[in-house]
Amino acid sequence: METAMAPKAQPAAPAGSASPPPPAPARRFRTDRIAVPWWFVLPALAFFAFAVLVPSARGAVYSFTDWDGLARSSSFVGLEHYRSLLSDSGARDALVHTLLIAFSVTVVQNAVGLLLALGVNTRIRSRNVLRVFFFAPAVITPVVTAYLWKYLYAPEGAINAALDALGLGLLTQSWLGDSDLALWSVVAVIVWQFSGYSMVIFLAGLQSIPREIYEASDMDGAGPVRRFWHIVRPMLAPAFTINLMLSLIGGLKLFDQVWVMTQGGPGGATDTLSTVIYREAFQFNAFAYSTAMAVVLTLFVIVLSGVQYGYLGRQERNS
Amino acid sequence: MSKKLLAPAACLAAALALTSCSGGDGDDAGNAVTVTANSTDRVPVDAVVAAFQEANPGIEVTVTYADTDQLQSTLRTQLSSGTAPDVFTVWPGNGNPAALQLLAPGGFLADLSGAGFASRIPEGDRPVTEYEGSTYIVPVTYSGIGVIYGKEALAALGAEEPATWSELIELCGTARDEGVSLLALGNQTPWVTQLVTYALAATTVYTDTPDFDERMAEGETSFADSGWKAALEQYLEMEEEGCFNDDPLGTSYEASVSSVAQGRAVGLVQVATTLSQVQSEAGDAELGMFALPATDDADQTLMPGSVSAAYGLNAESADSEAAMAFVEFLGSPEGQDIYATEGGTLTALPDEERETDPALTTLTDYQGQGRTVPFMDQRWPNPRVQQTHFTVVQQLFAGDITVDEALAEMDAAYRTE
Repeated sequence: METAMAPKAQPAAPAGSASPPPPAPARRFRTDRIAVPWWFVLPALAFFAFAVLVPSARGAVYSFTDWDGLARSSSFVGLEHYRSLLSDSGARDALVHTLLIAFSVTVVQNAVGLLLALGVNTRIRSRNVLRVFFFAPAVITPVVTAYLWKYLYAPEGAINAALDALGLGLLTQSWLGDSDLALWSVVAVIVWQFSGYSMVIFLAGLQSIPREIYEASDMDGAGPVRRFWHIVRPMLAPAFTINLMLSLIGGLKLFDQVWVMTQGGPGGATDTLSTVIYREAFQFNAFAYSTAMAVVLTLFVIVLSGVQYGYLGRQERNS
Repeated sequence: MSKKLLAPAACLAAALALTSCSGGDGDDAGNAVTVTANSTDRVPVDAVVAAFQEANPGIEVTVTYADTDQLQSTLRTQLSSGTAPDVFTVWPGNGNPAALQLLAPGGFLADLSGAGFASRIPEGDRPVTEYEGSTYIVPVTYSGIGVIYGKEALAALGAEEPATWSELIELCGTARDEGVSLLALGNQTPWVTQLVTYALAATTVYTDTPDFDERMAEGETSFADSGWKAALEQYLEMEEEGCFNDDPLGTSYEASVSSVAQGRAVGLVQVATTLSQVQSEAGDAELGMFALPATDDADQTLMPGSVSAAYGLNAESADSEAAMAFVEFLGSPEGQDIYATEGGTLTALPDEERETDPALTTLTDYQGQGRTVPFMDQRWPNPRVQQTHFTVVQQLFAGDITVDEALAEMDAAYRTE
């Protein structure tokens, strides 16, 4: 942004000057080329600042007050809420759940997505149908899929019924009622829904690899594993970066599916930072405290995704 | 103006135009009333509004419906920003973000003590309809918590309504032997977890300590040192005795209702307002309701029963005659009757001439005999206690904590500032 705006900051002629010296043609051409796109971006940027940046910044300010979301005034309490967070066992548990979800979703969703992409990148006849089939869940609203899975996971739902019908009654579970299992049941739904999304991004990366490189590796006698490791994997680095970033951030701020399927239960076993933030704000009237939690979550997202982006960026350059 | 300044100036003008569009309340029409209500009350509210407008053709009432969570969060935002509707749902007593005891102290509700209905509010309901001795809400329905059951299903077990704890436990076994559950329980849905405890605590706590809430407020007792311990222990005993369906933690509220309607369970412990939903799924099946016994002395049994739905008048609309007229209509015998009839509940303001649903006879009897106690959360000082109750019941059913630990957590939540 600074680079783009820099030309605008060049000293201009003082207002009222009779005949300012005309800028060099080359320089003027460059300035206009940079400035014009910014004027187009400005309305969207202004709206983004109005709807997201300013409210977020103002929200962060509330985290240093005792505002309850209703009172017309509030008092400054400094870092009190941040200190309380350190001793809040519920928030700590929610943080652990959030990290478990984020990392497991990131790993499994992308592994499945990559396998699906490799599968539908072959010449099998049904590849187009399969691509649509695998991608379809990603276009459904998460709340809707969560409700559907809530019914599938019910004690007498389709999953347990199917297991019973297959003579696998011993494998029937209380998918959302068992506090040891509920978190992973939620993770499974997210993986199911968004693996197709990862697949599409990987597929785009796969299709950008020139066929000549595959043919050359065939001539060199490389098998499928070696070809994947030494050709496909490095050339998919940008796709890996995008997918891993999106799934990590999505996992860290997960709310919808958890709220619909378990509301954080049973007994807080699936609470995430987002569900706790919601509950503190809208059920406990602790708006300022919940804002402090939101700030911490934001910092987590920034730090983790920043570290991940830095690492993956280096991998991309090395590739 | 130079071309360089034209674009930013235009943007600024557009931004100012946008902000000016949102300024001002523009709602000073004297014959318009805005109402926000819980979406679960859509049918009765629509009926009341239609009747009100027929009687007051010059007044236009606009209703917005929202689910409980959305309503509570939006209402708080609207109140703090001065954009709240004239009349809106307010929860009696305390215990949730849009409850009377949280809104009245902030000056957001108009004092309704001078309204015609105020003097007709039963003495037992005043603690949850008043703040510092003044009435701030118009109660419209009265509800209770008990066992809603299918009469045919119970008769098929060769049994009658259990009047004592021993009879209840015995009936649980009988039902199990017949391949059904006596009670469907959907503890996956957090708010459902509280109902059995409330139904038991009404007797285990308030029979011996009718002033329990006052003593809690004074710090003279605690959940751990009260009948709450017996209530939670008996809740778990019911689970052990097979009173409930398998896997209550994996069963939702909706599934529990369907379970009764489809005959997999004889009944369920629920608020009376659920009766209409069970009936709609169960078709012509005849339903009944009885108080959940908690001791072997039937005369000791009490029932949770309290004002359920209520409305408040925005303090900023206190001068609006139209809004006040609508509130008065809600408190009138006609308004109460329409609301309760369409909602399948009882009127909050007693009306001896009114015919009630036979299934609610037990509740009206208990109400008339003064054998009801307000819903417990309505007397708790903050919403955290109720949420903690939800959580600990789920943890108890998961076997993650003990009853003593559960009560300690509830006590800690009660004392939270």
